[in-house]
Amino acid sequence: MTAIEVAGLGYTHPGSDQPALADLDVSIPAGRVTLVTGRLGAGCSTLLEILAGVAPRLTGGTLTGTVRVLGVDPSTREGGRTLVGRVVMLLPTPSSQLSGMTSTVRDEVAFGPANLGWDRQRIARVVDGELDRLGIAGLADRDPATLSGGELQRVILAGCLAMEPEVLLLDEPAAELDPPMAERLYALLPELTATTVVLATTDVDRASPHVQEVVVLDGGGVVAAGSPSEALGQEAVVGLDAGSTVARIVYEAGGRGRLPIDVAGVREWIAS
Amino acid sequence: MIRHVEGTGILHRIHPLTAFGLAVSISTSVFVAPPPLGPVAVLAGTVILAVVSRLPSALGRTVVVSVPFWGFLLLIHGLLRHDPGRAVVIGSRVSTVILVFAAVVTAVQPARLVDALAALRAPFSVGYVFSATLLVVPRLRDRARAISEAQQCRGLRVAGSPLGRIRAVVPLTVPLVLSALSEVDERAVALATRGVGGRAVRTVLHPPNAGGLDVAMGILGVGILVGSFFWRVG
Repeated sequence: MTAIEVAGLGYTHPGSDQPALADLDVSIPAGRVTLVTGRLGAGCSTLLEILAGVAPRLTGGTLTGTVRVLGVDPSTREGGRTLVGRVVMLLPTPSSQLSGMTSTVRDEVAFGPANLGWDRQRIARVVDGELDRLGIAGLADRDPATLSGGELQRVILAGCLAMEPEVLLLDEPAAELDPPMAERLYALLPELTATTVVLATTDVDRASPHVQEVVVLDGGGVVAAGSPSEALGQEAVVGLDAGSTVARIVYEAGGRGRLPIDVAGVREWIAS
Repeated sequence: MIRHVEGTGILHRIHPLTAFGLAVSISTSVFVAPPPLGPVAVLAGTVILAVVSRLPSALGRTVVVSVPFWGFLLLIHGLLRHDPGRAVVIGSRVSTVILVFAAVVTAVQPARLVDALAALRAPFSVGYVFSATLLVVPRLRDRARAISEAQQCRGLRVAGSPLGRIRAVVPLTVPLVLSALSEVDERAVALATRGVGGRAVRTVLHPPNAGGLDVAMGILGVGILVGSFFWRVG
């Protein structure tokens, strides 16, 4: 079953002549974790903003082609309203995603569920659960304005997860996290079995072991798609500097064809 | 700068809308009460309210803002027009309005105000506009400090001669204004990604309760306004 269907998608940012996305076709299966990656400027963040209904409705710009998220067009006002709470996006800069209306972390995490009109008992239950899951229960009574970037990123992610979305869009969710915490965050994603997760990051080495599907973008279009080993092991992807470090090392050592993307893959590749 | 400060004084404990109602009542009364004694009496009462409510920061800020203003008033009306009483009346009125709203902004937590408005079934946007207004000054101050530090790292000199300081204003002001404008877009995106704009009615997380203290403050507010009116016509 497909959660997201994009066909012939083009998008140009306001004030720009160059399209950020051009004739893009992507299909993202429901209930799986899909990594969208590519070089900086490849269009990954833009794609997520379109799926979230942020672009072009709030940011402006020109969109062509068709987008369907859970069967709804998020670029229309009515579609955007329908998807509120069902599709949730984590921005890469957590400080810009603070509600600005709360004085405790607990209330900040509860901000999204409260906007969905849930009863207070349900909100308290999911908030406590997400604070525990992300290891920030100890911050519950702190003022969000006093937190570090990494703490804030976990708070905003907890707020997104607390909304129990059907589609979770994560744009560089580990940008402000230290390596162990980033690892922990990525490892959490496959546990969200009821949620379709779309993860946009250039942190391919850490993220790829925890995803089931990969879409590699370049120049606003799809370069490769498939399972992690299928998509990230392609020479074209390695040549873009968008693949895994292991694949790049093997490529630079003279390896060609389908390249291994991790150490286990290297062992198999040598044995074959 | 005026911003919310945690506390347990009277204005902290009452319902946010009672506090704003009291502020409106006092601000109106200071213009209704007959000069010259009326505005001075209302100002004195407001100072007592701020002291009893343990809001020294609001008092301090009001003094800082009012002192130069009083200086100009006394210069213009006292020395040039030989009417110092007029300076006292105008100064009392302005200082009262500044003090009472400084006290309310210091005492009322923006989130409580939003909850109070949401409990009245006011649209989210109304509560957010109130809240954002209360928070805009500290947010801009933080941003101005960051811009100043960034520009100094890039060689901008903000100290020195008066001319040098004036020159430094442009590289500090332009990014501040532009970033304040982009903040509007950032806020819109942030709220849209966190469930604002849907069909549901927002849940009030901490419904503010109105108790006996609110009744007393309500009576006080109405009493001040009615008393000022009858003092004037009587």
